Amino acid sequence: MKRLLLIHGAELIAMALLGSIPLFISNPYVLALLTLLAIYGILLIGLDVTVGFLGQVNLGHVAFLGLGAYAAGLMVTRFGFGMIPALLAAMAVGFILGALLALPSLRLEGPQFALATLSFAALSTTALNELEGLTGGAQGLSLTRPPWFGRELTPPGFYWLCLAMLVLVWVLMRNVLASHWGRAFEALRDSPIATDAMGVGTYRHKVAAFALGSGLGGLAGGLYAFNFQYLQPQSFTYDLMVILLLGVVLGGRKSLWGALVGATLVVLLPNLLSNHTLFRIFAGVGFLVMVVTGVQGLIRKRLRPFQALAPIVAMGMLVLGGFVVENTENWRKAIFSLMLFSVVVGLPEGLMGFLSEFLTQAFKVPPVPLPEPATLDSVLPVRIPEDSPILVLEDLKRYFGGVKAVDGLSITIRAGSIHGLIGPNGSGKSTVVNVISGLYLPTAGRVLLRGKPLPLGSLVKVAKAGVARTFQNLQLFGELTALENVMVALRGVYHSPLPLVLLGLAYKEEQKARAEALTLLELVGLREEARTKAKDLTYGAQRFLEIGRALARKPEILILDEPAAGLAHPDVLKQIEVIQRIQQRGMTIILIEHHMDVVSELCDVVSVLDGGRLIAEGSPETIKRDPKVVEAYLGQPQPPTGGISPLEPLTA
Amino acid sequence: MTLPIFAQMAVSGAFMGLVYALIAYGFQLTYATSKSINFGQGELVMVSAFFSLTLLNLGVPYWAMIPCGLVFGAAMGLVIERTAVRLALEQKSEGWILLSIIGGLFLFSTAENIWGRDDHPFPTPMSTDPIHVLGVDVTRNEIAVAVGVFAIMGLIELFKRRTLLGKAFEAVSADRDAAELMGISATRTVMLSYGLSGAVAAVAGILVSPITTVGPTMASALILKAFSVAVVAGLDSGFGVVVIGMMLGILESLSSFQLGSGWREAPGLVLLILALALRPTGVFGKTAIRKV
Amino acid sequence: MKRILFSTLLMGAVVLQADGTVKIALTGPFTGGSAPMGASMRDGATLAIAEINATGGIQVGNQKMKIQTIERDDEAKNERGALIAQELAAMGDLSGVIGTVNTGVCLSGDKHFQAKGITKIICPAAGSASMTQWSKAGVKDVSIFRFAAHDGIQSAMVIEAAINRNFTKVAVVFDSTNYGVSGRDDMLDQIRKQGNKLQVVAQEKFNIGDKDMTAQLLRAKSAGAQAILIWGIGPELAAVANGMAKLGMNAPLIGGWTLSMSNFIDNAGKNGNGTLMPQTFIEEPFTAKAKSFIEGYHKTFKVERIPSPVSAAQGYDAVYLFAAAVRQAQSTDTHKIKEALENLKEPVKGVIATWVHPFSSWDPADEQTHEAFRREQTVMGMVKDGRVIFANAADKDRLIKAALGATAKAPTKAPAKSKKS
Repeated sequence: MKRLLLIHGAELIAMALLGSIPLFISNPYVLALLTLLAIYGILLIGLDVTVGFLGQVNLGHVAFLGLGAYAAGLMVTRFGFGMIPALLAAMAVGFILGALLALPSLRLEGPQFALATLSFAALSTTALNELEGLTGGAQGLSLTRPPWFGRELTPPGFYWLCLAMLVLVWVLMRNVLASHWGRAFEALRDSPIATDAMGVGTYRHKVAAFALGSGLGGLAGGLYAFNFQYLQPQSFTYDLMVILLLGVVLGGRKSLWGALVGATLVVLLPNLLSNHTLFRIFAGVGFLVMVVTGVQGLIRKRLRPFQALAPIVAMGMLVLGGFVVENTENWRKAIFSLMLFSVVVGLPEGLMGFLSEFLTQAFKVPPVPLPEPATLDSVLPVRIPEDSPILVLEDLKRYFGGVKAVDGLSITIRAGSIHGLIGPNGSGKSTVVNVISGLYLPTAGRVLLRGKPLPLGSLVKVAKAGVARTFQNLQLFGELTALENVMVALRGVYHSPLPLVLLGLAYKEEQKARAEALTLLELVGLREEARTKAKDLTYGAQRFLEIGRALARKPEILILDEPAAGLAHPDVLKQIEVIQRIQQRGMTIILIEHHMDVVSELCDVVSVLDGGRLIAEGSPETIKRDPKVVEAYLGQPQPPTGGISPLEPLTA
Repeated sequence: MTLPIFAQMAVSGAFMGLVYALIAYGFQLTYATSKSINFGQGELVMVSAFFSLTLLNLGVPYWAMIPCGLVFGAAMGLVIERTAVRLALEQKSEGWILLSIIGGLFLFSTAENIWGRDDHPFPTPMSTDPIHVLGVDVTRNEIAVAVGVFAIMGLIELFKRRTLLGKAFEAVSADRDAAELMGISATRTVMLSYGLSGAVAAVAGILVSPITTVGPTMASALILKAFSVAVVAGLDSGFGVVVIGMMLGILESLSSFQLGSGWREAPGLVLLILALALRPTGVFGKTAIRKV
Repeated sequence: MKRILFSTLLMGAVVLQADGTVKIALTGPFTGGSAPMGASMRDGATLAIAEINATGGIQVGNQKMKIQTIERDDEAKNERGALIAQELAAMGDLSGVIGTVNTGVCLSGDKHFQAKGITKIICPAAGSASMTQWSKAGVKDVSIFRFAAHDGIQSAMVIEAAINRNFTKVAVVFDSTNYGVSGRDDMLDQIRKQGNKLQVVAQEKFNIGDKDMTAQLLRAKSAGAQAILIWGIGPELAAVANGMAKLGMNAPLIGGWTLSMSNFIDNAGKNGNGTLMPQTFIEEPFTAKAKSFIEGYHKTFKVERIPSPVSAAQGYDAVYLFAAAVRQAQSTDTHKIKEALENLKEPVKGVIATWVHPFSSWDPADEQTHEAFRREQTVMGMVKDGRVIFANAADKDRLIKAALGATAKAPTKAPAKSKKS
């Protein structure tokens, strides 16, 4: 309760403060800055969806600002609409074009994604410039602000309109980003493969995130048009884009507050720097902050020496420069870059990240309360497995060029069993798992689930069909907490349509999701770590979290890809116990494993692969003595040597 | 369009494309070892050009200026690596994108204040009179760019294949972790790649300046094109940038002629988005198998 | 965040205040691509202000008031321009504003000055729209003046020059910015006004930063253009000249005053020879005043050549005009200064000319009332071996005479009509 009070209180106070300024100060310049701040606030919240949550460098956001501005401008000047339809049109243009751009960019990441969005931005500037008949081309488009319900909007009136939009956007986005949508965006950033494998479509969410962010860009564009009342295509170019991007990072990613702080900086910094005295004060304060945080960070060993020293040097240069350079206006970009450098290096979470940590401690803001876990029976009801094959691989083949990774494999897995899959390195175990789970398309053959063909080559479809998997090379959502990792994958909880989520009316199912996720964390022994970010968990805990997350799919078949790899002995024992408990719920488990003791302990049946083919199958005891298996592992035929298996030393 | 005009357009476009390719190559070098690129590469080209111009103005002969320019470029590349890239790589974050943009901003502003905001001509020992070959006009500067592009790329590729240091470079590019296990310092190799990339930027600055003139904004338009070329060719494609660069140059030239000069860039941009959608790792890039 | 907010609010209220000064704001792009013009204008103006302050200031009443400047870099961006205009307009004690290079910045920012009635002298933005926006809207009273040879005069001279040289087929080449496109419109308009004697065989556009103009030039060449009428800024113009040399085109370049900027002349080298453009100031010490200005500039700003002499000279003269208006108004009040500017009684000796009654009361039907430059102050310049010289010797003599104050030119409202030179 205290947490909600503090956080919402801070929001209310900030907004009330922003809203009441025009009542006390009539300086039109201050009002102009505030108006721009509200507009850029919306713009940066939109950009933060793709840059912060989706984690992609989006260089096309500025195009949506421009397209939105022109859409609104043209609605008013050419078609004579009022302000509300114009703003809606601006938002729609951003939303639709954003979704369209997301389509070809879906498979792209990093530099490629950046380039695709950059090209889109260049293309839209060209179009605005060249379609002179419509947009007025380079000579620009002048417009007058249409009346608002029959009344002329005064500057404070327009400012309040922008602020109201910002508040609306703020509330709606807070609801979405705190819901499973927001978590899916973040999951996508950390591991698209795992996101798909957890049945959360990357496709749909990437398009949604992009359309949402771009829609906000369009809305901001509409307000921009009514604010400046003069538009030119050259205003919306790479230069501005860089500033926006820096604003988001400076303010702090993945945070509405961060976007607002970023907008404030973007709007105010150029003006602050043109005053010599203010600049010196700024440089001095900045230098002190960097010295304090740097020294603190070094003492607490939270910062590397470079991280602590470089910002001090940069701010020191600024302070010195303040005395040497007469005209700071000439050096504005250098000053800007030194400040940015200090923040990016010294305060990696942005100003807001730094502040919020500080404030959380200062006001002793308690963390989000967790509900009581649900009962295990309600989350994973015990299934009585029928005595029949549940998964059948029929003559499965997967070639990579000339390499036959899987070469005609047929295996039958019985419901409710733990089926081991072993083999030396390169025998094709991982490829089999990747084909079943839909990461790879098989070259030939098919997979039957309960007699029906399993969808091929799609992680999402396979996941939705009821097959869940873990990853040998951990694919956790590092920036999410353990609890959120499980919540991303949770099946059968989220039913509310998007509008309800936007309005914050999906609170109940959110609570239910938390309760269920907690249960699963308890099952894998991670309840105490629920609030820890996945990347900060110990290696062992991360392996358990992989299992817990896969369980959230409530699957019929659980594929564990070397779950014990690299685990210490006590953890291995604990894991054996966890897997047994999962089996008791009636789940079928496919276990790929190197640890022979784990295999012998757990598996009902073991299939041994070599060179992409099945060389032996049976109970752990029988295959241990199978000469073909021994040969495959050791490279030459070995006589059976009593009780000691040659496979034992392979527990690496 | 008659044949001579077509030939002239294609040749002029191709030369411009080689300029893109040369700058794009600088992106490739750093991407190979560190999976990072310097978004301030354009500013690196610009300050190297300014530095070389200053040397020329001080009376240093042209041929003596070139090695000095190269050393300066390499040094600036190392500065960027130290200040903007290394930390981000250690943290396995993508902070290098912003930090290198910030680095570029700083270089830009500093150059504006040291060398002024104006554009300056860059003298070369070559005559500026055009040469007529088979009815097509080319300038010696354009030919110099072409020769320079192939020379520097050839030298660096040879270095990568023939020398021990070069092989370390290749090893880190192929598999950073494995190379580290073999005792190759990835950090050193990344430094090497940034140094080389800086030197390539300097070569670009020296060769391109006679065509573009030297000024703070000389590379801002080129750099976006070069970036496109590098990504579409594939950030690990080697000589692929030359092919894609020339194609983009020719396409721009022809669409400018056919569609009207305002639409010059549009077809290239559309093709670019499509190319990326079809081949995310680039036309000549290696398609990686997703491993988990 | 709030702290920052408050400090700005404070800043808005508390402006560095010093009694007994005349506060003038200088705005323009001081960084980035348009900086050669913006910075030259600023430096020219600063030079004039330093001279005035060195004499103790402007005599107002019984005290001498020094000029205090506020500099604002608009980066040639419309949004920055609008914000700066709002900031300056909100200062209670500002006497006036001099500056702006980009027409787009005028269009987005000047309305804020106009709303408060703050006197602004646009300098050196030449795009027609910055003044016609007021006459088109039929505004009754305008506090915006222009001190630059606007594109209307310039384009008339360009077309005239082409006709005088008996060209019949020309190509119109322009950059894709507001400046270039409106220059194109002005030129096409003038071709019509001057009797359609020129046939436009190609209309070609280029972007800022383009280096390869082959396509545009080939189109012009294959259409048989005898002259290239060009509207653009700086390095791209040089790329056009160099591209023409490459393709062996010897049609002359004729265009706006920006062809006199060093970034064209230096970079085009000998390929720039013969290029014609209207000029208000030529960096040639043909009078004592011009000599002292040029030398003063070179010495103060440690350059061998002014990046944009036209901008610098206009900035310099604009300050003197403004100072004269302050003296006449005997006040630092911007409204009174505006009235004085509209009716300057004393001639003002500038480096470009001696200004006699350059502005008059605003007439909504004729924006020429707030334009200082007439055809008389504008001459054709020609590039020759790295410098701009008078294209017609007669102009030089006339200007020397004018500068000596021998002329009693009263500005007529007749704009640039074809006066054979």
